Amino acid sequence: MPDLTVSLGKLVLKNPVMPASGCFGYGEEYAPFYDLSSLGAIVVKGTTAKPWQGNAPQRIVETPAGMLNAIGLQNPGVVAAKAKISQLLRYRTPVIVNVSGHSIEEYKKVISVLEEENTVAAYEINISCPNVKAGGMTFGTDPDIVNKLITALRPLTEKTLIVKLSPNVTDITEIAVAAESAGADALSLINTLVGMAIDIEKKRPVLANITGGLSGPAVKPVALRMVWQVTDAVNIPVIGMGGISSAEDAVEFILAGATAVAIGAANFVNPTVCPEVVAGIEEYLSSYNYTSVREIVGLAKRTVNTQS
Amino acid sequence: MPKKISMEIIEQENVGSNVYRLTLAGKFSAQPGQFVQVAVSTAYDPFLKRPFSVHDCSANTLTLLYRRSGRGTSLLAEKKAGEKLEVVGPLGTGFPMVTEDKIILVAGGIGSAPLFYLLKTLQAAGKKVAFYYGARSKNELILREQYQMLADEYMEATDDGSCGHQGVVTELMADVLDEEKPVIFACGPDGMLRAVAKLAKRNKCRCYVSLEAHMACGVGACLGCVVPNIRGEYVRVCVEGPVFPAVEVF
Repeated sequence: MPDLTVSLGKLVLKNPVMPASGCFGYGEEYAPFYDLSSLGAIVVKGTTAKPWQGNAPQRIVETPAGMLNAIGLQNPGVVAAKAKISQLLRYRTPVIVNVSGHSIEEYKKVISVLEEENTVAAYEINISCPNVKAGGMTFGTDPDIVNKLITALRPLTEKTLIVKLSPNVTDITEIAVAAESAGADALSLINTLVGMAIDIEKKRPVLANITGGLSGPAVKPVALRMVWQVTDAVNIPVIGMGGISSAEDAVEFILAGATAVAIGAANFVNPTVCPEVVAGIEEYLSSYNYTSVREIVGLAKRTVNTQS
Repeated sequence: MPKKISMEIIEQENVGSNVYRLTLAGKFSAQPGQFVQVAVSTAYDPFLKRPFSVHDCSANTLTLLYRRSGRGTSLLAEKKAGEKLEVVGPLGTGFPMVTEDKIILVAGGIGSAPLFYLLKTLQAAGKKVAFYYGARSKNELILREQYQMLADEYMEATDDGSCGHQGVVTELMADVLDEEKPVIFACGPDGMLRAVAKLAKRNKCRCYVSLEAHMACGVGACLGCVVPNIRGEYVRVCVEGPVFPAVEVF
């Protein structure tokens, strides 16, 4: 059986597959469908210092091979979230918390509260949510602010610090390098692409927030290209995500340079997609006689370099 | 506990007004008012599963009733007996079992879908059930004969007067609510539900409404289908609902 373990900073995962934040609630929603211990990690929803109400409905709309969402990071706040997160400890897999905020102070507060107990394995710093008015993506589009934020958070924890990048920038590698130089242990990309839909009968935007984040198979080629570029630009591991719906999609991201992958909107369509992708990656490795998933991380780049 | 299962289509019938009754075979159980998510395509487009309430259910069959209204339901309507569909369910919070013996079900058009299974379940529990059915016109009183035949009392109203009382269905209910204080279970368009809830409140009757929302995951993870409750908090139609106490949401 091929070795599926991968490392993100100090964090060792039994396999490279995890759900994407915001697509998996606080985990319990998918517990009826399979044993969550089979996941490489559980990534919970964007969590803020205080409860956030989120955006007004309509929050979602289906689009060609995908969907737009403008949830607006509705969450019960870090104190209530902490109780939910401790419920996940019964699964034998690390818990990664997505951390969001309107200000550097709010991000710091979330990490400080969660650091009180030793329940969280890693933090994913969300600097890329396109659906909140202040903070969120505004943090993720300016390399100086990214540097400032990650520099401020780095001393608060020894745990793996992952920075989740926005694709809604001119040059994503600039932001990736800023996060790496400020002390990030890993990067995750991509968050959703900003888009919109208009109801032609009502003659107004479908989403109450007007714009939303595009996800699903439609974004996969863009995400893959960005993972390719970012893994060329930094030395820290990358969690690739964006439209992954199958093991074949996941393998593409790993061949492009991702050390691990996250699955988002596909969970909504197929509640057992995550364990299916784990099994499919294993099958792929076996069929080509690889002994470890790590052998194929970035393999497509090496193939290109050999041929050129 | 919800699960993902593959179910075979036994029968798909057009029951009029672009409404289809789809019967699926497979081991399945649900509470009245719960729903399922159905894959209308195995391709990536349309992307999301479609939520449908349980119209009827036995140990080995699940029946759905839906209007063909968009791309998803059009694809579903093309499916034939023998084809397999991926179904996730049962999902959500259904209608509560109540101790009262007198119950009124209020349906608006295709909103009747979940009330058939509810009607049968309540009667099996020994309740007297009145069925109040409203629609724009007679042809939208989908499967009216089955409710007329089963219900202990049956009343209907149409906007155009083509069947039953001319007007809205709530106009038929005022006296009985005042005298008998029944429990009310309603499903239909938002305007009708609000009118029913208002009438229930005025007559001090308990009232439950089944809501509809644009949905992605159906299991409570994405927070896409929320509606505001009376305290202004967003609650999930797919988990806390689709059936809510009317006083919670209106």
